[in-house]
Amino acid sequence: MTMLSSYLTLAAVLFCIGLYGVITKRNAVIVLLSIELMLNAVNLNLIAFSKYGINASLRGQVFSLFTMTVAAAEAAVGIAVLISLYRRRVTVNVDEFDELRR
Amino acid sequence: MDIVFSQYAWFAPLFPLAAFAVLTAMGRGLRTTGAWVATIASLLSFVLSLLIAIERLGDSAEDYTGRIEWLRAGSIVLHAGYEVTNLTALMLIIVTLVALLVNIYSLGYMKDDERISVFFGYVALFTASMLGLVLADNLLTLYICWELVGVCSFLLIGFWFRKPEARAAAKKAFIVTRIGDLGLLIAILLLYWNMPNHELDFTSFYNVFHSQSGLISTSLTTLIALLIFLGAVGKSGQFPLHVWLPDAMEGPTPISALIHAATMVAAGVYLVVRTFDIFAASDAALTTVAVVGAFTAIFAASVGLAQNDIKRILAYSTVSQLGYMMLALGAGSTTAGMFHLFTHAFFKALLFLAAGSVIHAVHTQDIREMGGLGRRMKITAWTFGIGALALSGIPPFAGFWSKDAVLAAALDDSPWLFAVGLAAAFFTALYMARLFFLVFMGKARGDARAYAHAKESPLVMTLPLLVLAVFSVAAGFVETPWNEWLGSWLTDGEEKGSFSSMVVISSIGASLLGLYLGWLFYGRTSAGRNPVAERLPWLTRLLERKYYVDELYELAFVRPLAKLGRGLSRFDEAVVDGAVRLVGSSVQAAGKLNTRLQSGQVQAYALYGVLGAVILILAIAGRRFW
Amino acid sequence: MFNFNIEFNGEFFAFFLLAVCAIVGAVLAINFTKVVHTALSLAFTFVSLAGIYVLLEAEFVAFVQVLIYVGAVTILMIFGIMMTKHQDEGKERTRPLLEGLAAVGCICLFGILFYAIRSASFPEPADKLPADNTMSLGKLLYSAYAIPFELVSVLLTVAFIGAVALAKREPEEKEGGPS
Repeated sequence: MTMLSSYLTLAAVLFCIGLYGVITKRNAVIVLLSIELMLNAVNLNLIAFSKYGINASLRGQVFSLFTMTVAAAEAAVGIAVLISLYRRRVTVNVDEFDELRR
Repeated sequence: MDIVFSQYAWFAPLFPLAAFAVLTAMGRGLRTTGAWVATIASLLSFVLSLLIAIERLGDSAEDYTGRIEWLRAGSIVLHAGYEVTNLTALMLIIVTLVALLVNIYSLGYMKDDERISVFFGYVALFTASMLGLVLADNLLTLYICWELVGVCSFLLIGFWFRKPEARAAAKKAFIVTRIGDLGLLIAILLLYWNMPNHELDFTSFYNVFHSQSGLISTSLTTLIALLIFLGAVGKSGQFPLHVWLPDAMEGPTPISALIHAATMVAAGVYLVVRTFDIFAASDAALTTVAVVGAFTAIFAASVGLAQNDIKRILAYSTVSQLGYMMLALGAGSTTAGMFHLFTHAFFKALLFLAAGSVIHAVHTQDIREMGGLGRRMKITAWTFGIGALALSGIPPFAGFWSKDAVLAAALDDSPWLFAVGLAAAFFTALYMARLFFLVFMGKARGDARAYAHAKESPLVMTLPLLVLAVFSVAAGFVETPWNEWLGSWLTDGEEKGSFSSMVVISSIGASLLGLYLGWLFYGRTSAGRNPVAERLPWLTRLLERKYYVDELYELAFVRPLAKLGRGLSRFDEAVVDGAVRLVGSSVQAAGKLNTRLQSGQVQAYALYGVLGAVILILAIAGRRFW
Repeated sequence: MFNFNIEFNGEFFAFFLLAVCAIVGAVLAINFTKVVHTALSLAFTFVSLAGIYVLLEAEFVAFVQVLIYVGAVTILMIFGIMMTKHQDEGKERTRPLLEGLAAVGCICLFGILFYAIRSASFPEPADKLPADNTMSLGKLLYSAYAIPFELVSVLLTVAFIGAVALAKREPEEKEGGPS
């Protein structure tokens, strides 16, 4: 038995913690950070499979690099949106943004 | 002889029905005109019935049946039709004549009533349904009309619905007769299942039951006959369902005469006669009819002895006389039963209308407050006297002949039934003597001013009395020991009357004894003291309370049922309504929850997404665990 | 049903240590009330993950992880924190229903994932990663994945330009955009 399932379990734990943070945290910055955590959990999966998967190869690592790039872009845009919103509403509390109801 | 008028027999119920429609549509605007419309309609019906009867007097008159297909559902066909036989023609005459006279009488009696057109509309509807009942050629049509007359009875008893007693009486009548109607309905259903081809018309009954073809087993026949008899018991006020009839006297007096003396209550007797082939096939059923009839006759007659309301006395008398008819039928003689129905319709209608005339004059129904009215109201007194003599069975009045026929039939069947009938005849004479002497003879006991104002009723009210008095005298001669015309006409000569001098003598003796005792107790001592009541107070009390039958029913049925009803109502409110409210409020709560869900907050939506995904995964992938 | 027969070798101990660090960092990040603490705690998690990547023979990815996440993303977040006010920290209204349901949902999800992982059988890898895998990775990126690589660079550029455009102040305020 390889260590694969241990890595996957760790990834699941981190993913769920990230998910919990996304749902419950009111501060938009922490929500963004939690999303990063979830993406990291995914990366961990990719890399674990790249080593222990049935066809071990570097493709998983390549994919995780792409993911990181997209995550960085997402963080940048997210913070930009956040700052723009903050200028309008003077708050970063997610539960005060209820435009979806209107 | 050609059949002309019988073909148009269905017009007879149509006239009053049209009158009812007109009166209902035109409403109160008509008032007296409406009353005349109804009266003329009943006159037309009477003329038609008379023509039919004359036509049927010919010896060779064929029975005429007209029927149409009413409902067709798959292979099931229900017919509606009418049938004209000698029996039907006789009933037509009785019903239309009494209805006509009551209509005329009501022109005077109900003159000042606010809702006179409604009253005449109801009477017309009743006449129509009663004629439909008489003419019906099958049990189903009969049953429909049977229920219609019940409704009219309900409406008319409760005509003065502002009186709580009238309301209660109407409800009681409707509910008590319903017990009998249920029996009749079950009988019809049983017949429907067991008759060949699901036929329900009376001719088929004759074919099946009269020939003893064995198509239907004896026990089933008995059951059907008893259930039909249950219907008759309810409608005709036989023991133990008699309790509604005396209370029904809360209605206007013409109604008491028409519905609750002459016609509708006789419908039960008519029903038994009409389905007599079924009864004749079962000895047990016949015995039951005879015993119930005899018991009702003596029971009601004895109660009538102690009542003080003029109409109630007559009502108990009606119950008792209906018992007589049932007794005759149970003894196997339809002739005697129908004969008594025929004569009774006239003299009891006469008695009721005369009583109405009295009530109209003195505005009370309590005979203890009357007295001496004979001097003020000569026509009423004389006609009432004729009616009383006819009811008591004094020759040569009509009641004597029919009562003799009944008693003779009873003697043929069993001496016990004869003895009971004789005793009932004695009681009948006694209470009629009491009634007559207390009301018309002696000194005025009530309010002196009311007595002074009491005067004879107008001609529209006395004319029907006179006509009925003539019939009360003469109607008996259609069937006498030396002339059995009615019997042979009704039954094609199948039934022979059996008169014996013993019956005649004992019957006259009982009647005269009753009249004499009545004069002794109530006529001679005009003060109205009651020697029997003084000697046997417990007996009088028992009779006054009508053997506590009402109280017994109250205790045994009404209260438990009322309790059950209240319980069910509470169940309805709590559980059924609660369930309805629960559905409503749960939908509302679901709606509120949904608005709460639509909070507009992204995180909440994310949460729903997660929960939904979990549920979805569990539902799809988790299936293998259960 | 679950296989817990784990070899206690060096990789396991290293993994165990780093996993504990990562989870502790994540949990603390969720529990801290101050946003800055959260960001720093998450940076700790990211570093631990980089260590795990090294364990998984992905040295280049670990390097990039430290550069991007710890170096760029976390710093970006801290800048974001600095540019917004957080005066109501620590006295937040609690949302027990939301939190409870979120906890239930997340635990259920974890249960499902854990069950799936533990009940799946992973066969031994057929081949091993190349020894000098940073070089191999570079070759792979510039040969087989050249077009996606270029596209991602375009995406990144567009995203940053967009971010600058979004975060720029309104015209009347006459001031340059932030970083």
